[in-house]
Amino acid sequence: MMSTPKTLLGTAAVIALMALLPFAGVGGYVLGLMTSALYFGVFAMGWDLLFGFAGEVNFGPSFLIGVGAYTAGLLNHYAHWPIIACVPVGALAAVVAGLLLAVPALRLSGPYFGLVTLVAVLLLQNVIVIFAGFTGGEIGLDLPDVLAISSRVNYWYALGVAGIVALGLFALSRSAVGLILQASGQDAIEAAALGFNVVRHKLAAFCISALVSGLAGAMLVFYLGTVSTDSVVDISIGVQVIIAAVLGGRRTILGGAVGAIFLIVAGELLRPVGQLSTFIVSAFALLVILFFPGGLLGRFIVREGA
Amino acid sequence: MKALQILIDGFAISSLYATGAIGFTLIFGVSGVLNLSHGSIMVTAAVVAWLVAGSFGAGPYGGALIGVGASVIVSLVTYGIVVRPIQKSRAIAREEKEIFVLTGTLLWGIMVQEVIAYVFTNNPKTVLPLIGGVVNILGVRTPRTEIAIAAIAWLAMGLLWLLVNRTRGGKALMAAAINPRGLTLCGFELGSIHLLVWTIYGVLAGIAGVLLGSFLGVSSDNAGQLTASAFSIVVLGGLGSVTGSLVAAYVVGYLESLTAYLVNPSIRTVPVLLLLVIVVYLRPQGLLGRR
Amino acid sequence: MTALLEVEGLTKRFGGLVAVKDVSFSVRSGEIVGLIGPNGSGKSTVMKLVMGIEKPNTGSVRIEGEEVAGWPTHRIARAGVGLVFQHSRPLHRQTVLENIMLALLPDSLLRLRAGREVVERARAIARRVGLANVLDRFPATLPFADLRRMELARAVARDPKVVLVDEPFAGLTAAEVADFSALIRTFREAGHAVLLVDHNVKGVAALVDRIFAMYLGERIAEGSAEEVMRDETVRRVYLGGEIAHASRPARATTDEAPLLEVSDVSVFYGKAQALENVSLRIRKGEFVSVVGLNGAGKTTLFNAISGLVPYQGSIAFAARRLAGRSAATIARQGLVQCPESRELFGDMTVRENLELGGQHQSPGSMAERRDWLYSLFPILREREGQAARTLSGGEQQMLAIARALMMRPQLLILDEPTLGLAPVILELLSRALETLRNTTDITVLLGEQNVTFALPHADRVYVLEHARIVWEGAPDRLAEEAGAGLL
Repeated sequence: MMSTPKTLLGTAAVIALMALLPFAGVGGYVLGLMTSALYFGVFAMGWDLLFGFAGEVNFGPSFLIGVGAYTAGLLNHYAHWPIIACVPVGALAAVVAGLLLAVPALRLSGPYFGLVTLVAVLLLQNVIVIFAGFTGGEIGLDLPDVLAISSRVNYWYALGVAGIVALGLFALSRSAVGLILQASGQDAIEAAALGFNVVRHKLAAFCISALVSGLAGAMLVFYLGTVSTDSVVDISIGVQVIIAAVLGGRRTILGGAVGAIFLIVAGELLRPVGQLSTFIVSAFALLVILFFPGGLLGRFIVREGA
Repeated sequence: MKALQILIDGFAISSLYATGAIGFTLIFGVSGVLNLSHGSIMVTAAVVAWLVAGSFGAGPYGGALIGVGASVIVSLVTYGIVVRPIQKSRAIAREEKEIFVLTGTLLWGIMVQEVIAYVFTNNPKTVLPLIGGVVNILGVRTPRTEIAIAAIAWLAMGLLWLLVNRTRGGKALMAAAINPRGLTLCGFELGSIHLLVWTIYGVLAGIAGVLLGSFLGVSSDNAGQLTASAFSIVVLGGLGSVTGSLVAAYVVGYLESLTAYLVNPSIRTVPVLLLLVIVVYLRPQGLLGRR
Repeated sequence: MTALLEVEGLTKRFGGLVAVKDVSFSVRSGEIVGLIGPNGSGKSTVMKLVMGIEKPNTGSVRIEGEEVAGWPTHRIARAGVGLVFQHSRPLHRQTVLENIMLALLPDSLLRLRAGREVVERARAIARRVGLANVLDRFPATLPFADLRRMELARAVARDPKVVLVDEPFAGLTAAEVADFSALIRTFREAGHAVLLVDHNVKGVAALVDRIFAMYLGERIAEGSAEEVMRDETVRRVYLGGEIAHASRPARATTDEAPLLEVSDVSVFYGKAQALENVSLRIRKGEFVSVVGLNGAGKTTLFNAISGLVPYQGSIAFAARRLAGRSAATIARQGLVQCPESRELFGDMTVRENLELGGQHQSPGSMAERRDWLYSLFPILREREGQAARTLSGGEQQMLAIARALMMRPQLLILDEPTLGLAPVILELLSRALETLRNTTDITVLLGEQNVTFALPHADRVYVLEHARIVWEGAPDRLAEEAGAGLL
């Protein structure tokens, strides 16, 4: 158990150390892996804010990611907007799409909210395939611009985004609003009886989750240089995000980033076993869920009265 | 002519969907579990049937039988090593069990899927059809196996109906879905009921998997899609409602067939998804579900 | 002076069931009103309607003259209504102080930091309710009474004009009850309007200025605690009417070994102690009643006997200890419970419900048993093909008893069979019990808050109060020795 300022300082220190990684002789290939992992970390942290704090299970994180990514990608490809304009517009589009989804869906309870989010992903995927002429369909769309050629610079971009999101969301989760959010997620009726507009707080959490997901999704496609359903919309992307967050530790925010890095590093270390690597990673995640439901970070960050 | 074709094809595919989805809804009703390894279990049945019928030369019937057996085993293992430990765990808060069961069965499904892909590759496998040949129904050339599929699916559902409505164990099963505590007070062990329902589920998912394998062919890559369509059907029909799932399976089957024939096969699932969104918003308890 | 809380013509239907019917009352500033009624009387629904957790079908709820009926809960809370929940679900990862601070936060998305003054106020409130020494602890480490204090602190923090308290004293010891009463009186002194929601008059009598009593969704009495306790309707609801019964032949209650022996059994729900060292013995063929108010621990006792909740101590049936056996095994061995909640299979027919009870015997034996039960409860034969959930409350109760009897119990536990039933049904039930007692050698353990229903059949009576057995004896001595505590 750690206090909020200590955790924030510790996190900042870890980020600073990670920024030095390119100088420690780490090669471009590994930096590339870390870059993807950091973007996934942002997705997972955004998901955890919604699930761990607001108590809503979003089965379709890749809907928000995909809307952000495709909005940015299409603007760049067709309108030749610069990246600096595409990324924020992509993030905003994710918020708008998220609101359209969440405003009616938050009235639903239990598995139905999750279901709507899942269906949203499938629909988005289908829309992209149907309008393949415009969106590039399953093959994807090449983007004229990329963030940077250098793997170091790309890594620093990703680290910058992930670092800001990690510190921001963590601070938010420990703030007054975070407290209300947790109360709403845990017992909506009691939170309402204390005078809190539960739906509005959950909606705000959804918007923040959408904002960071859309932002990272847009950044990711400019790192990859291409936007395709396989890389930002497919259900399996969402599944990885959820696994990363649960593995890292629910309700910890930072656990999402740890889980994402763990998943990608483990997948890489397991390359020699070839196809079985997914099996081993899934099995490991299942074991963590069964035996350490608090996740990798559960012990350090979650404060649970013993 | 085309209409009749759609009618026949839609019927076969719908009865197949219904068989799988009814199993899915049954375990939800009795033990509150949405089993996201559903697709992998169906794929297991199909691949084992393909292997035993083809490579081991057991013929289509032997293959089908062993395929269904494999599905029952995987289903019971799913319950034993994933679902039950989570339900029993003291470390997981009650309101979080749902997401843990979902994540756990999802991971387990991926594991099964990956093992199949590793051992048998992810190439589509077509199970030997139970009957060969083609018949002419009012001018539509229909493979006999398509008729056999519908017949077997309905036979399985009919037997399930008899089991549930005419036997002691079946009655207890339905009672467990309505009021598990009441059933305990009547002297029934809920543990045995759960084993029974997971076994029945394994049989139904296995039959659906084998039939699908002989109809369209199955690859390990289909697992996710199969889970998703069972999930959609069950939600459309109302979570836990068996009749609802049956009706919804036909709605989905025909809607998909219509779209595929009349519009474009590549968007066959889109109208179903739209319908699903509308139903979930307007009538979240499903078409036939009760609040 | 206008009342702070005014409820007028409030009605709430759930499907076909009218849970609250045309209820009107008001609570003025500085007044404590008790809203009482047995389980299912609609009192909790009234509380939820006032708080906006449920929306009324018709009627009005005014806070200081402002109409709030139909508003969302958080607006009603902001309008000045606070609710002290019976079962609180505190934030487990936050300290007691943070839990109290939560209630002081504005409903704003922009206030990220709670200011100094919020912390100070939270500390002051904690001191006021007696939590000053545990501010930095986590809720999971607190004793039950402190959790309730924390719940109270949250309500105080909101400084509501109207305070609703759900079962203020459930699970508390006598000393804690005194503490809480004092705290609730401070609400009155501060000019709040307080509504205490509870089962019985007795629990709140010392505290309230007035009482509003409900039964089956309607008002049955209103007035001072003494007036309500004297009220004929209230007495009939709580104590039952005059139930005719034939005296039965005395059973040979020799000193043979007891059929059921409960020794020093204690049960905890989390931190709340629901049973404390309870011991009782029942001999074969005896008819024993356990009487006690709602919340005294009757259902917990029965659930421990049936193997449905874990307990400390020992319970033996037919000279064999039950510990370690599943609830289903216990039921199959002849120790059958017909629970307060009935637990019927609502979507199944009457016949199917009965058959599920009789499944552990041969078909012939089952049919014979069913016919016997149809003669005991003729209405069930008429309703044979009807779904259980469509039956009336009385018919459902008969079905629940019949289903338990289908199992051919040696010992039948009947938990609150009279709950929410009209007097005319009680007489029917009473006659059925009488027949059962006179024509079979069944042993019965009956739990009741309705003393008049519990006594006529009983060979012996235990009185359960605050988780403990406080009296044991013959039914005819109960009224003079232990009757006062039961209204």
